[in-house]
Amino acid sequence: MSWVLLTVAGGVGALLRFALDSAVARRTTGALPYGTLAVNTSGSFALGLVVGLGIGVESSFVVGTGLIGAFTTFSTWMFEAERLGEEGDAATGSVNIVLSVAAGLAAAAAGWAIGASL
Amino acid sequence: MTLAKLTVLFGESDRVDGRLLSDELMRECAERKLHASVLLRAAEGFGIKHQLHTERLLTLSEDLPLAAVAIDEDERIRALADRVVPLVPGGLVTVERATPIDGAVDTESVKLTIVASRQDPARSLVERLKRAGMDAAVVLLGLDGTVDGRRRRAGFLSTNGDVPSLVIATGPAGAVRAADGSHFATIERVVVCKRDGRLLADPRIDAPGGWWQRISIHSREDLELIRRLRLEQAAGATSLHGVWGFSGGAVPHGDRFFALRRTAPVLTVAVDSPEGVARWWPVVDELTRDGGVVTSELVPDARPIWPA
Repeated sequence: MSWVLLTVAGGVGALLRFALDSAVARRTTGALPYGTLAVNTSGSFALGLVVGLGIGVESSFVVGTGLIGAFTTFSTWMFEAERLGEEGDAATGSVNIVLSVAAGLAAAAAGWAIGASL
Repeated sequence: MTLAKLTVLFGESDRVDGRLLSDELMRECAERKLHASVLLRAAEGFGIKHQLHTERLLTLSEDLPLAAVAIDEDERIRALADRVVPLVPGGLVTVERATPIDGAVDTESVKLTIVASRQDPARSLVERLKRAGMDAAVVLLGLDGTVDGRRRRAGFLSTNGDVPSLVIATGPAGAVRAADGSHFATIERVVVCKRDGRLLADPRIDAPGGWWQRISIHSREDLELIRRLRLEQAAGATSLHGVWGFSGGAVPHGDRFFALRRTAPVLTVAVDSPEGVARWWPVVDELTRDGGVVTSELVPDARPIWPA
């Protein structure tokens, strides 16, 4: 049963990523990939929250690995980082890497702290 | 015999009756046995809807701009244009008079457009154009095209050596001799406005009502023109990355295999009303202060197609 739920959750996660990434990318200007940053930061927060809440193995599997796993993206982050490198935009390229890691860590920590206290 | 050139700017995911518009356009060119046509993909651009399309961000790369260019006799191109205009859901269709390469043109500078095929190696052509004194040239790889009525479409697992490329060069009228022997070459009148940072002619003009203006910028790298022009509410602009080319005094260059940094030449084209061009010209002027070749030409028959 959980394999079916995992599949559905993964699909939903990918669709949500597409929706948020497009919405942010269309509304922002500049070279920094804000859409991917938004997706990965919010996903990190969500995963911290889910793990902090301690919702049980089966639910964690579907929501954590499935939904949030499909929602966040490493490949898009790396692809867009590579393109910034190609354009020679070292400033935006470094911000993309450093900010994504810093924001992701902070969001995960915050989610975990909040989840654990609930 | 007067030649004409049809250019259609549209989106990669545009469809007509469920079929891709790009396929339909190339099929029309093949069926009509057109002299030459090429389909190009742009790296970045925006149009009437002001939505930015760019290959740099995943979610904005889903509908990249495409440009279909067809060259043949005047009546055949006009017949094709009449057929094509109703099919385009949103974009720009232009029909321009063109002169064969051995014809006479009354301006100092010209734009040379060549549909290059395997018999016409584009890189050596660029070197010859540079030696002859052209101001800029760029080779744009085609995805699809027709040469002498035969469809040459790029395939995923093919070498694609005979898919046509488009070579666009600009410079003194006398220098086009270097392209003699190119089978599918046309020249058009242009004014060279800037070269290597120096202003040679101000492109801001009063044009007859209804005429549009095209500003082309050849540069050695991406100058962030698309983003800045979009902020200035230009009617539209498209950036194409070439595989080989030069602008101004630069040595011909292209991308290198083992280098991260891109070194491909870029051609950016913006079409707008003369009032629009006058409004955003300072942005182009600023971004080309260190190099690049900027040209201006009038486009009397431009048909912008607003999405329904």
